Amino acid sequence: MPLPDAGLVLRGGRVLCPASGTDQVLDLRIVDGRVVERGAHLEAGDARVIDCAGRAVLPGFVDLVADLADPGATWREDLRTGSQGAAAGGFTTVLASPATEPVIDSGAVAAGAVQATRGLPGARVLRAGAVSLGLKGQELAEMGTMLEEGCVALSDGGLAMGDAAVLRNALEYARPFGAPVLLRPALPSLETRGCMHEGKVSLEIGLRGIPAASEEVGLELILALVRLTGSRVHCSHLTTARSVALLRQAQDEGLPVTGSAPARSLLLTDAWVRDHGYDPAGRLLPPLRPEADRLALLAAVRDGVIGLCSDHQPWTRVDKELEYERATPGATGLETAFSAALTALDGDLPAVVSALSVAPAAVLGRLARLAEGDVADLVVVDPDATWTVGPPRWSRSDNEPLRGRSLRGRVHLTLVDGCPVVEG
Amino acid sequence: MRRKDMLGLRDVSAEEIVEILDTAARFRSVSERRIKKVPTLRGRTVVTAFFEDSTRTRLSFDLAAKRLSADTLGFSASSSSTKKGETLMDTARNLDAMKPDAIIIRHAHAGAPHMLAQAFPWTVLNAGDGINEHPSQALLDMLTMRDHLGELAGRTVAIVGDVYHSRVARSNIYGLTRMGARVVVAGPGTMCRQDMAHLGVEVRHRVDDVLGDADVVMMLRIQRERLAPGMMASAREYSRFYGLDLDKLRRARPEVLVMHPGPINRGVELSPEVADGDRSVILEQVTNGVAVRMALLYLLLGGEPLPAGADDAAA
Repeated sequence: MPLPDAGLVLRGGRVLCPASGTDQVLDLRIVDGRVVERGAHLEAGDARVIDCAGRAVLPGFVDLVADLADPGATWREDLRTGSQGAAAGGFTTVLASPATEPVIDSGAVAAGAVQATRGLPGARVLRAGAVSLGLKGQELAEMGTMLEEGCVALSDGGLAMGDAAVLRNALEYARPFGAPVLLRPALPSLETRGCMHEGKVSLEIGLRGIPAASEEVGLELILALVRLTGSRVHCSHLTTARSVALLRQAQDEGLPVTGSAPARSLLLTDAWVRDHGYDPAGRLLPPLRPEADRLALLAAVRDGVIGLCSDHQPWTRVDKELEYERATPGATGLETAFSAALTALDGDLPAVVSALSVAPAAVLGRLARLAEGDVADLVVVDPDATWTVGPPRWSRSDNEPLRGRSLRGRVHLTLVDGCPVVEG
Repeated sequence: MRRKDMLGLRDVSAEEIVEILDTAARFRSVSERRIKKVPTLRGRTVVTAFFEDSTRTRLSFDLAAKRLSADTLGFSASSSSTKKGETLMDTARNLDAMKPDAIIIRHAHAGAPHMLAQAFPWTVLNAGDGINEHPSQALLDMLTMRDHLGELAGRTVAIVGDVYHSRVARSNIYGLTRMGARVVVAGPGTMCRQDMAHLGVEVRHRVDDVLGDADVVMMLRIQRERLAPGMMASAREYSRFYGLDLDKLRRARPEVLVMHPGPINRGVELSPEVADGDRSVILEQVTNGVAVRMALLYLLLGGEPLPAGADDAAA
């Protein structure tokens, strides 16, 4: 339904915006895509009024790690379903992985890929360009040209870079362009035959493991190279206690590094694979980790050391209805990340906003804020509602390890540029 | 027995293990007769689906089903549609459409039998999945040990070799520890890592370190197909530290049992003199294999009560 010229009034919600120091029940007036007025009992006039009583109004969530499979694998996901699924999960901005077909690794491909993100029905989709040609970790991609064509970040698309010299050059080369570099820390040679976390459970159920050391050595390498080059790096997919300890130490040292963990890793552990009889939905990379890691990630989120990401990786039955060891790693996450985080953080909304809105937005140099004059990217949630994860609402893929789980927190309304893209 | 499937011994109770071994002991007599057949599973269909090579296990299951009068049919990977790109689930859906009663599956990937057991109504017997479990092998091993040792509780069983990649070892560890036996494992650091202790076993390395107090020494086959590069130096060195020959065997108890799941790499993990020597019960293991598999099929498929003759012949 078209918005009236007088815009929208969000009535009586708890507006929670750490960036403007707000946590109180307020009305928001939104006109022409921006927050124009905040206050108690705003005059509605001809504006459309949306009752937010009992709900929370938050800056929209921002995702840094989503595979939208478009171009090239649109049977798994496409820009429209990805954008709508993201909005349904409360995300207003999503950075799409460059791991598409073709890989977004040249100016020409980037130009077309950025063009294709215009006019989407849900969350705004931004593009990351590849760090290396074909994401192969050997030759550098056209980082500068891709950024000029509209990419906003550089990323290895979740494929860990194994060669330290190439990684060093990539960071040196990227730095003058000023864009953030997103990397998944891992030592590929320690991951090759593994298909779940290496530990007690993998030993028990006879699956080859991926040791935590793979992620931790990868992270130590990245941190050493950040120290060497001064490049700004976001380490995505952090999943171990030692990883967040290393990141915390690096931040204390003043290195320009941030990190994020998949939201589901706050809720699920490696025991999931055993308890669900080798269900391939739980095959992930990095894998689900033991309880001690889960608790360390929760503490790191509460302390603001890391943010959260959806780690959305849609795969269809063709890729997933296989023996666990043969199935493609990855799970969907855009529609469930917020509720997974709120459930794991026991209803701590300020922590969720910091982890899903403020921190990831800052990586992209954006502001997740709802002050007067700010772009009205926001989400209205029912923090106390519970729901059971069912089939995806939008995603073309149905690989969700949280399926069947009861979660806390429902998205009621998502506004992108002041327009409702999800309601109800 | 109140379970549809036998996927592994990880979640099988000591009572169930005793029930299987007792039933197997009774079935042994069938194979001693001139007419080696009882009618308990007449009219039932048992499929052997081997997605990985096997001689012994497949023949043993096949014979077990036939001696119970089940109709058996089977296929192996080389002749199956998997080579044409069909997924396991699609193969299983086609089998399902032919209304089998039980499927015996061997597969290179852990969890494959669990996937079928979850999705289909028929009984699934795991005949080896990846590096996970091989429950019927462990049961036949335990039957063989029980024949010689009586009670398993309090006995010490040493498992030597590539324990990490061995589904035989994993099933034996679960079964034996559940029965109250003490399990000690040994092998190269790459195949017998410290963290194996999580499975409730003691971890040693050289074969010499476990021989002294073992009632049973179970030697495992080196499975080169499961080894990543760099896990083993040479067969010569392997044999020196982790292989068993007559010289080393002298350090063991005189009544020690030497076992091996077969096939043997003669001269690597076992010297021919030990394999064929008087402490070796390797061929008894094979004989017991048929009886244990008869018992599993019988108990899982809920066959007719055992005919009196089955016990008579044992007497």
